[in-house]
Amino acid sequence: MKVSFNELQGLSRKAFIAIGFDEGDANDAADMVAWMEAHGLDGVTSLRKGLDFLLNEDKSHPPKLIYQDADLCVVDAENKTVLGHASLAIELGYAKCRARGLSVTKIRHCHNRMLIVGYLSRIARRGMSVTAFWRNSHEPLTEIIVSFKSGEAEPEICMYGLPSIPDDTEPNNGITLVMVNHVDLLPNLKPDAPANDLILQNQAAMLDWHERSLVDGIEVDQELWDRLKLLATKMLVESSEDSRQGAGAGTNDND
Amino acid sequence: MISATSSSVPNNLRPASDVMKLERLGSMFASRLSFVRSLMRKMIAERWQVVNTQFDLDGQGHGLAVYRISTPENCYHCVIFCRDLPAELRSDRVIAEAWDVTFAMVEGEVENSLLEQMEANVPLQEAGRQHPRVLVLSRANKSLRNFSQFVEALSAGQQPDPAWLTAVGYLYRTTAVYGNGKFGIADFARLQRNSDFNRPFAAQMLAVYVLRQFSIDQLNHLARAKAPDQAVPLHPELERYLGIGNSTGLGMAPFLINHPQLIQQWVYTRERALAYVREKPATEQTHAKLRELMARALTHLQQTKTEDPEQTLRNQSTAKSIAETVDWLDRTLAHPGLYEELISWAEGQCSLEAQELINTLLIELYPNLVDKLDDELGCEESMDLQPDMKARQLKALIEQKFEWALHYREDCHEDNYWFWYRSIEKEEPRLGVRGAESGAEKELALAIGPRISRCYAKLEPFVANNPNAMVVEFLLAHPGQKDCVRRIQTMGETPYGEIRANLWHRNMKPMHLLRTKLSFFGASRFDPKSDRWVRITLFQGAPLARELCRPGRSLEQLDDWGFPVEPNLDTNHAVQGEHL
Repeated sequence: MKVSFNELQGLSRKAFIAIGFDEGDANDAADMVAWMEAHGLDGVTSLRKGLDFLLNEDKSHPPKLIYQDADLCVVDAENKTVLGHASLAIELGYAKCRARGLSVTKIRHCHNRMLIVGYLSRIARRGMSVTAFWRNSHEPLTEIIVSFKSGEAEPEICMYGLPSIPDDTEPNNGITLVMVNHVDLLPNLKPDAPANDLILQNQAAMLDWHERSLVDGIEVDQELWDRLKLLATKMLVESSEDSRQGAGAGTNDND
Repeated sequence: MISATSSSVPNNLRPASDVMKLERLGSMFASRLSFVRSLMRKMIAERWQVVNTQFDLDGQGHGLAVYRISTPENCYHCVIFCRDLPAELRSDRVIAEAWDVTFAMVEGEVENSLLEQMEANVPLQEAGRQHPRVLVLSRANKSLRNFSQFVEALSAGQQPDPAWLTAVGYLYRTTAVYGNGKFGIADFARLQRNSDFNRPFAAQMLAVYVLRQFSIDQLNHLARAKAPDQAVPLHPELERYLGIGNSTGLGMAPFLINHPQLIQQWVYTRERALAYVREKPATEQTHAKLRELMARALTHLQQTKTEDPEQTLRNQSTAKSIAETVDWLDRTLAHPGLYEELISWAEGQCSLEAQELINTLLIELYPNLVDKLDDELGCEESMDLQPDMKARQLKALIEQKFEWALHYREDCHEDNYWFWYRSIEKEEPRLGVRGAESGAEKELALAIGPRISRCYAKLEPFVANNPNAMVVEFLLAHPGQKDCVRRIQTMGETPYGEIRANLWHRNMKPMHLLRTKLSFFGASRFDPKSDRWVRITLFQGAPLARELCRPGRSLEQLDDWGFPVEPNLDTNHAVQGEHL
């Protein structure tokens, strides 16, 4: 079915609140999903994959700060999705970059990493260049680099399979963020080494997708939509004769 | 973007501590910066055309009508479906499922496939899936008494009594006007680059304006169907005096709270207009014009009827104050400091409503100063954290800009009396009494005052223990405060920030919230039906569609339609003889 951006954002926010997100995290998570979907980056698919996981995770704790110094921080998301408090890890990196010109933030043990791109767009809007790097640990081993230039609404995304698997095959479910305040860190995302299945997603394609989503609406899976609606319903209050009075309307409008 | 920081800021802006009090916001009137006035000016200046292109109504007025709206760059269509509505189904509430009229405005042409899609979905409103080319979705119910009286009179060759429109200023009352992506329609983001509709609610207001034209056309059609040889068309003065009603309730409140940057921009724009005017020296001409406007507003107020006892008292008090203001103007000659003297006199003598009415009329005097602000009523809405701000600076910001919020008492019953929630019935917003009604655990986070106060209570000990910590470190310790902190940091930079009220407090009046928003829309004839439900009128007195592209009067004359008064139909005989 087709929905508008505002509908996707609004229903996602209500569903996130219903499953226990704080108001701020619910807003951020909904923005991330809707932004990704409107830019052709499969935000809805990522949400569908992660929804069961989200329902069962403990949402009360922010990422655990493992280490920090003036321009580096390491946090442990403790196997939660980036939709929750991961935004605070990003904000910590942003704060350090503001002070030092460059910062490195490592978020360990997190899921739905692609969705983080939706939040990074805010960082770029606030005048900072940011690059995210992570590896998918499944076969074939894939590396993903997402890079926003300061002030630009859309990133460059580069995804490729490695021709050979390194000896170190430990699961890598972290994400590394490099933020810079004054220079463009990664002007060319094309990998130097030969890569398999290279996929480059450029700004123009994402912008085009965004324009089309505004004109044609956004296609979402009916089953997921129904599920989100059902979740959102949990925040609605059952009606009664008393509650009907709570709207304050009259009983007869045949005037 | 908040243009407060980028464009010229007058020195004499009123302080937020006055302007943003809920009681004062709830005393505002429509002004020349209100959205309906702003839209009409644009339509007149750019000679928009509103033309009926299809009118397939039967003798009962049921069927389909289509209007084409042409602007210099684009065209739109308003598609209107009229169906029979049994009396038992007629309800103004959002929980209604059928209406006398449902309509939608679409971008571009209405080809057959789109019309079929709309015919299947627009009448269902919220229950339908609307097309992404639909910009506005709405519905309206008849004022049955007015409708039958008007048809009766016109079909008998007589003009309706203007007093009927003074009592109820419309034939149709909208009960919701949806924009911005609701139920599949176009997102506002799509309109932001469209100069026709990039001002707040411009597309919604245009749809309501077209409904007004339809109500006139349908009325004339019904009179002619009833008595083809005898019917006369509605007198032009009555056409102008006919507006469109709107019935609304607590649904206005979440928007006001959830769009603080927009509300600040609306208030800031109006306050800048007032500040510019206050700097001008009054002349004999502006003195005379002000007196003329004041006298018209007084008549408008005296003619405004409501059954609500409290609003009746407010109207009477305002009318009394405005009558005294007219006397004051008569005995005070024009001099350079007249406006400041008037405002100062009114603060000591007049009710809040009268004070705000005087401000509204002062703004009316200087179109050249004020109308350029039309394009500054909107803003880009985005709230961002400033994570590197020191936590102690955040604490100081709250103390400086949000001191009003710190009066909230966690353990005080009165401070926590109400809770806001959405019902499972079409998500209708409602108010419940905490502890007495169920649902408080699902309440909407609308009470910003208490939230800021609770944030401050967590911030105080944190700062004491971590004097050099950054805001992001506070949030890592208290992640639940992220939304509130982001809002404090964003709104703390604006001149008017937040509405200064605890929306949980027992004495909080929801009607003030409704009136705040409606006054910016340009509503008149506030007619409360309870403490949280109100009927208003839009476009009463506005120029007619046919006057937009063939103006016999100047822009200034056409734009002068605020505070309309009951017309005197001294040309009645001529119109009686002019059969349809």
